[in-house]
Amino acid sequence: MINLAAPTDKKSGDVQGPQQTKVDISGLNFFYGKNQALHSVTLPIPANAVTAIIGPSGCGKSTLLRTINRIYELYPDQRAEGEISIDGQNILGKVDLANLRRRVGMVFQKPTPFASSIRANVGFALSYYEKLAKWQLDERIEDALKQAALWDEVKDKLDQSALSLSGGQQQRLCIARTIAVKPDVVLFDEPTSALDPISTARIEELIDELRGRYTIVIVTHNMQQAARVSDKTAFFHLGELIEFDDTLHIFTNPSAPKTQDYITGRYG
Amino acid sequence: MISESGSPAPRNERPGDNGRGGSYVSRSDITEIPSARSHSGLAERLFHTVTGGAAWIVLIILLAVAYSMASGGALAFKTFGFGFITSTNWDVANGQFGALVAIYGTLVTSAIALLIAVPVSIGIALFLTEIAPVWSRQPIAIAIELLAAVPSIIYGMWGLFMFAPFMANNIEPWLNDHLGVLPLIGPLFTGPPIGIGMLTAGIVLGVMIIPFIASVARDVFNAVPPTLIESAVALGATRWERLWHVTLPYTRSAIVGAIFLGLGRALGETMAVTFVLGNAHDLSASLLMPSNSIAAAIANEFTEADTELYRSSLVALAFLLFIVTFIVLSLAKLMLARVERNLGRTN
Repeated sequence: MINLAAPTDKKSGDVQGPQQTKVDISGLNFFYGKNQALHSVTLPIPANAVTAIIGPSGCGKSTLLRTINRIYELYPDQRAEGEISIDGQNILGKVDLANLRRRVGMVFQKPTPFASSIRANVGFALSYYEKLAKWQLDERIEDALKQAALWDEVKDKLDQSALSLSGGQQQRLCIARTIAVKPDVVLFDEPTSALDPISTARIEELIDELRGRYTIVIVTHNMQQAARVSDKTAFFHLGELIEFDDTLHIFTNPSAPKTQDYITGRYG
Repeated sequence: MISESGSPAPRNERPGDNGRGGSYVSRSDITEIPSARSHSGLAERLFHTVTGGAAWIVLIILLAVAYSMASGGALAFKTFGFGFITSTNWDVANGQFGALVAIYGTLVTSAIALLIAVPVSIGIALFLTEIAPVWSRQPIAIAIELLAAVPSIIYGMWGLFMFAPFMANNIEPWLNDHLGVLPLIGPLFTGPPIGIGMLTAGIVLGVMIIPFIASVARDVFNAVPPTLIESAVALGATRWERLWHVTLPYTRSAIVGAIFLGLGRALGETMAVTFVLGNAHDLSASLLMPSNSIAAAIANEFTEADTELYRSSLVALAFLLFIVTFIVLSLAKLMLARVERNLGRTN
């Protein structure tokens, strides 16, 4: 049932040899008001690979993701302590948030197209970061849509409303919108939980194609999905990192008994 | 509702699948399939009758109102024909009645009111949902809703005793000197600064409808899904960029709805306008000159209407207000539908 072929292939023929760490999380604590949701999490996320974060509901998976681009700061009672280094820079310190969010893109659970045209959706953030001529903008939009495997379906209706797309197409549009600004890291927060199986398969294919070009972190409830798409897997339970290892290792021979219980479906 | 163009969308990805992100099908698009059971039980039947009856009563009342006004005004329409609408002559002594001044006054004062109220209201709503400190949002919102409860006669008295003199002493002389000399728009701002007239009435109306538009707009902005805001922020958008490119497009139709609400009220407002409009049946290009509105004319003159034709003319005015309101709101709806259709192109 669990297909482990894809990730093993990728790792055996590793391009970069020993993997560099892109996002280095160390001693991270996270609080919702007085409730602590993450307990001194230390997690080195490798560059240009897919890292899956799994665990039962409420274990802090999404919370962890939301600290990496500091989106949690929209809510005044949430706060993070510790250190998250991206390319050696602690992003929990003083950083330019707009610039951080250009480098760290995020795709959400539900597709969130803006109420404007497909073109405007993909170009949304581009114009904020770069001064582009019209033809350059069009080129970048086309490029992003191609990377998101959506170009062929929308190339004749770029000026139509993004809301006319189907759910799966909308989610790929959101991915295109995110990678249009050429981020280093892309965070996926359960990107397929609102999609049907076929759309899910397409998104997973897409993540596989993006592997190597971006550092991808994906939170998922679906263990098969984690096994299918990721190179590394981190298992969280009650706000603590229980185990972090190669995906193959986690799913075949986990070291911690809790991981064993979770992946064999004893709870979660 | 959902436009499905003949795109080569492959596989099963069609609108309406499980994965639809936004719900763009409203409740009123859903029709339940009648089953053998659905009209059987007493409760079902009662529910059907009561809700159906309530809906029909509204339609019947509407038609009855239209009919009684049309028949009441029939004499005026018969006497003056189409001239009743196009004539500016309102000569009580000689029994000549024309509605153009009142129609013009109604439209102009409402337009001024909207020009003032829409930006202010949207500003208030955005401030309350985005910028104001969290602890202050609720008290300010309640204060604004209380403003909506102030009776219009209070606004009228305030307009007449406080605001009109202020306009006459401070604003209107300035307008005369600075805007009155400009080409094209100059004629709008010439005339004696007496404080009473279309501009003052429009401003008072604007102040009156601000609470209505602002409180609806605030609810609308509050209803923007947090994930939509988060997506924009996650792309690095600043507050302004997010508001302009995400929040406003998302809320566009609901905001227009809020504006309709204000417009409907402005068109029909009587007391406040009567106090500050001047009630003069003269057509004038200047906004500083007294004029009349349909509602004000009816309220002022009904007790004096001593002839059959005079009374009939006032009822005919009421009928015209009904029609004008209907036309204005329909046009606004049509405009909105067009904007929605061209949504992609306009962005």
